[in-house]
Amino acid sequence: MKKLAIVLLALAALPAFAKDQLHLYNWNNYIAQETVKRFEDFCKCEVVQTYYSDNEELLAKLAAGAKGYDVLVPTGNAVQALIRGSQLKPLDKKELPNLKNVDPTYLNTPFDPDNKYSAPYAMSMTILGYNEEKMKELGLPTDTWAAIFDPKYLAKVKGRVTVLDSPDELFAAALKYLGYSANDTDEKHWKEAADVMRKAKPFWAAFNASSYIKELTVGNIWLVHGYSNDIFQANQDAQAAGRKFHIRQGLPKEGAVLAVDSMVIHKAAPRPDLAHKFINFMLDGKNSAELTNLIGSGNPNLDAQKYIKPELKANPAIFPPKDVQAKLEQLQDLKPAQRRLRSRLWTEIKAR
Amino acid sequence: MRKRSPWLWVCALVVYAFLYLPLVIVVVYSFNDSRLNAEWVGFTLDWYRKLFANDEMLLAAGNSLLIAFVASVVSTILGTMAGMAMHRYRLRLLPILVLTPIAIPEILMGVSLLIFFVLLNFTLGLVSVALAHISFCIGFVAIVVRARLSGMDETLVEAARDCGASPLQAFAHVTLPLIMPGVIAGALMAFTLSIDDFVITFFTAGAGTVTLPLQIYSMIKIAVTPEVNAVSTLLMLLTLLLIVIASKVSPSLLRSNQEKAPS
Repeated sequence: MKKLAIVLLALAALPAFAKDQLHLYNWNNYIAQETVKRFEDFCKCEVVQTYYSDNEELLAKLAAGAKGYDVLVPTGNAVQALIRGSQLKPLDKKELPNLKNVDPTYLNTPFDPDNKYSAPYAMSMTILGYNEEKMKELGLPTDTWAAIFDPKYLAKVKGRVTVLDSPDELFAAALKYLGYSANDTDEKHWKEAADVMRKAKPFWAAFNASSYIKELTVGNIWLVHGYSNDIFQANQDAQAAGRKFHIRQGLPKEGAVLAVDSMVIHKAAPRPDLAHKFINFMLDGKNSAELTNLIGSGNPNLDAQKYIKPELKANPAIFPPKDVQAKLEQLQDLKPAQRRLRSRLWTEIKAR
Repeated sequence: MRKRSPWLWVCALVVYAFLYLPLVIVVVYSFNDSRLNAEWVGFTLDWYRKLFANDEMLLAAGNSLLIAFVASVVSTILGTMAGMAMHRYRLRLLPILVLTPIAIPEILMGVSLLIFFVLLNFTLGLVSVALAHISFCIGFVAIVVRARLSGMDETLVEAARDCGASPLQAFAHVTLPLIMPGVIAGALMAFTLSIDDFVITFFTAGAGTVTLPLQIYSMIKIAVTPEVNAVSTLLMLLTLLLIVIASKVSPSLLRSNQEKAPS
């Protein structure tokens, strides 16, 4: 037993003697290998990544007091929660000259005025994904939320449509369809949105937030409400598997939900110096572009455009054109009373 | 052997199919030549090749094995001691202390352990995960060992003592061999519980500490590739190997009812 205790203690002390390390708490597959390698050469340090698969996971762990992370990459509303919980260290702008590369549209957000704490990393939009050949054959529109909400169109694709199993996302889409803001909290508008969903529900195959990419790729499902990165992935997989159709991203003209993941520094970061170096490095156009080339994520970095693969450049879901940008909205947190009301509406929709 | 009704066979078959078919599918699809793994495309060993080139996955698997090994050894020793104590002495508090970690929801245990480690200013890492795993495995080992002890004939120990064995000798030569199947079963249980634990590991793992369940779970967002099937297949093989070894070491483990002490 004593020996074991000594071994355990030695293991505990081990990291203290290791070389310089940057601890990055990130989504899985959310940075290109070659980018990591280049940064390691640049800073003469090692990047140690740990992954989370959900913003709530990250928030729960940090709220309980976990330490040791330098840079985190949470989504907008999670950044908001972290700021409120005073979990972040303010950014030192002098260390971040590359911040000027970011499209001003994505800076100075309501939840982090003047980007005191956060620097945009990458983004995704919640849009339509569709089987190009099937939708053409059926003559259905793919640039409007009506495609998943209007029974007149849905009748032709009954049982071939899935929507996200997420009240946040689906309510936002229905509100957009009705011409309201995605962050509208008017109870009357919510009831209208719920009504739209109730009428459309019989035509949907499922509420699906996990396996819809697979279903779309295989060809079981022809139209989905999903995340732009996933839909991009679905097409890559479909082409790799030699399918006879293409999966395309459809950006609804009514606007959509935008989710911007931002780099922030944890207040207990062991190496804030490396953290700033890393953030500045990732704000460089070339490094930022590598992620987009890898997973087809939307890119808030104007300087990245010239490094993006030509076949991706024209994709409005990666660099949304100005007129679309104006209609994109980041979701904001609801107040507890509002959340309760919406949960009730959501349960009613799902139960019927 | 008496003749059994065909219904029994049908039922047994259905139950076994229910238990093992999913595992068979996981294994078969680890050889599937499709990244999406939605339907059978063709045979390939690519995923195994990719797996052995994937440092992150290997590191995670290595961490999982190390933690499971340490956790099962330590919790088997402590759990056996606890089981003995609960069997021999009529203690009120001990069973409660040892068995609550089994009943307590994992998430509560994970969060409270994390808060505890943070309070102590203990650096989260492999050690904190191993300690957490030991703490919830002890209870399972203790239960199995106690059950085995209560089926044991006490007079055998008394006879050994009468013949001049010291308490330690009596334990080493009489009690331990008799409860060995229970101890091994407990150790195997601890090993499996530790290797696939997600919730408690998630909370107690520090920056840069990845175990296999954490790694696999974080991949769900980007669609699970057959690499995960490949790593699961290897783990299944390992578990199978452990069971085979255990049954060789203690042949009575897999058919323990034959030598149960007459009560």
